[in-house]
Amino acid sequence: MVRKVKTSNYQVEFKKILDSDYYSSKFKSVRNKAFKQFLDTKFSSKHWDSLRFTNLTALKKNTYRLCDTSDRVPKNFDYPDSIIQEKYRIVFYNGHYQNHMTSLPDSIEIVSNLEYHSYPGNKVMEPSNSPFDILNTAFMDSGMCLKVENNRDIHKPVLLAFVNSGNVRLMNSPRIHIHVGKSSSLKLFEHHIGSQIGNFSNESTFISLKENSFFKHTRLQMDSESAINAVNIHVEQEENSQYNLSHFGLGSNLGSLNICSNLNGKGAECHINSLCLTKENQHLDSQVLINHNSSHCTSSQNFKNVLKESSSGVFSGKVIVHKNAQKTNSNQSNKNILLSKTAKMNSNPQLVIDADDVKCSHGSSTGEIDSDALFYLQSRGINENSAKSMLIYGFIAEIIDLVDNHYIKDTILSEFDKWIEN
Amino acid sequence: MLDIKNLHANVEKKSILKGINLAIKKGEVHAIMGKNGSGKSTLSNIIAGKEGYDITNGDIKFDNESVLEWSPEKRSLNGIFMSFQYPVVMPGVNNTYFLKAALNAKRKHDGEKELDAASFLKIIKKKLQELNMDTSYLQRAVNDGFSGGEKKRNEILQMLTLEPKLAILDETDSGLDIDALKIISDGVNRSRSSERSFLVITHYQRLLKYIEPDIVHVLIDGKIVKSGDKDLAIELEEKGYSWLEK
Repeated sequence: MVRKVKTSNYQVEFKKILDSDYYSSKFKSVRNKAFKQFLDTKFSSKHWDSLRFTNLTALKKNTYRLCDTSDRVPKNFDYPDSIIQEKYRIVFYNGHYQNHMTSLPDSIEIVSNLEYHSYPGNKVMEPSNSPFDILNTAFMDSGMCLKVENNRDIHKPVLLAFVNSGNVRLMNSPRIHIHVGKSSSLKLFEHHIGSQIGNFSNESTFISLKENSFFKHTRLQMDSESAINAVNIHVEQEENSQYNLSHFGLGSNLGSLNICSNLNGKGAECHINSLCLTKENQHLDSQVLINHNSSHCTSSQNFKNVLKESSSGVFSGKVIVHKNAQKTNSNQSNKNILLSKTAKMNSNPQLVIDADDVKCSHGSSTGEIDSDALFYLQSRGINENSAKSMLIYGFIAEIIDLVDNHYIKDTILSEFDKWIEN
Repeated sequence: MLDIKNLHANVEKKSILKGINLAIKKGEVHAIMGKNGSGKSTLSNIIAGKEGYDITNGDIKFDNESVLEWSPEKRSLNGIFMSFQYPVVMPGVNNTYFLKAALNAKRKHDGEKELDAASFLKIIKKKLQELNMDTSYLQRAVNDGFSGGEKKRNEILQMLTLEPKLAILDETDSGLDIDALKIISDGVNRSRSSERSFLVITHYQRLLKYIEPDIVHVLIDGKIVKSGDKDLAIELEEKGYSWLEK
């Protein structure tokens, strides 16, 4: 595993962002503090136990620069039809929020990150769960805040598209805030589409769910094969709120999914489902932390990885049931199939329980395709390749079936077909 | 149709089959009886093409061609079917999808047009009725949450769908109550014809009351020690196997 990532390039870029006076001066001290912390801890697994099995080769190989005005959307740039055709959409180009491409129903309020932070009450968040989090605080350069008022049901899903294009190695650090008001619901389909050579996209998302709210978040990561895609999701959940995340990790050379959810209100629920299909030398990483801070809360994690060739993955999931969180119901599962001798998976499900009246379970398994099942299908005349893809599909179907939007589902299925055929 | 000559096979260097000779002609129903560990399931697995067996001597010919080098799917497409003693559970793999893929693979091999969803459903619904199976079966995953009886019915459904030349029934009676046994036997008996052969592998004579064999073989320690007509099965039921053991 590559341990050392050079930081000189980050220092050069950091000076640029300080000099550019991006955002107001109140950010300066926050940025400085975060960058100092980054230099102290870097991507070192001495400081970040969670990175012990993460393959950081992609971070070492590339040097990045920040976006500047030369990286604006080119004239005559064609956004994919899948974006244009969507009624409700929010568009980012190379990490930068595109106001003119965005269209939303009246019940959703949207402001840029700059505007969001100009309100005196809105603090700059400084999470430090991962080096990516810290880097985002140091380098944040765009973003938006989306707000659903109380008592609103947004039935139609909103597309949140991140388009990465161009041929420069760019580092972008968008910051997203999502507020779902009391008894409101929102469905968001986050789609990362990449055609850029080795961009480094590092997004931090802060989700706040008020009482009785419901947020269905589907995330489809299809960044280019040489890209790095990191996301840091922070969720604060009030009483009886529900957060459902379905994550599909298909693209990028290095992918990092970091989620921390705080179940703060009684009866809150958090369900995270993830499917990663990897090939060649891809490395997709998932780090999950669920804090049960209140009683009668439910959480579930269902992570599945299928790994081809020399690809690798990490699942590191932790559930902490704090003292007052009686009647917690939590379950954590990570199942993986290795399709080659050189594929590697590291799985580490953890449970920390400080309450005495709880129902918690966790489990992990990693193996090859079941040879008995393969023989069964072949003995019915189905050839070996079709039989294998039938079994793999059977393994992952429960995650794909959670997607209720036909377009999203079809996109995932056609990506699955491409992945399995190559 | 099936011609097994002097078949010797090892599993992890342990000799299991020690010279099997068995010839099944078109339209015949043969039964192999034997105790646990006599090599019954090894024999059926080897005919169907399962990996993990080391064939040290002998040959298996099907329609005069040696099948030893054939993949399991090639054997199936050419007309060999095995009903599994322990059908495999496959969560997430839909029954309809699986059966349609199997039938269409066969049709493609036979030079027939592949079936679309509607015509496939028409065929399969009729067969479900024959086996007294509910159509909700079609939405379920292969053998997932099936009772023992349902699993065995599913095996016979696959047999009726694929219409093999040779069907091997590996302990199809185990775990079945008398009603399920009757439904399954009726299904098998209806599909008996002068073109189709069966190899029925069983512990007990019970199944052979319903599916009457032409010839009964007794397998002991990897060898067929005695063959006879259906009365041999009755004799075994009365006397057990010990009188045939050396």
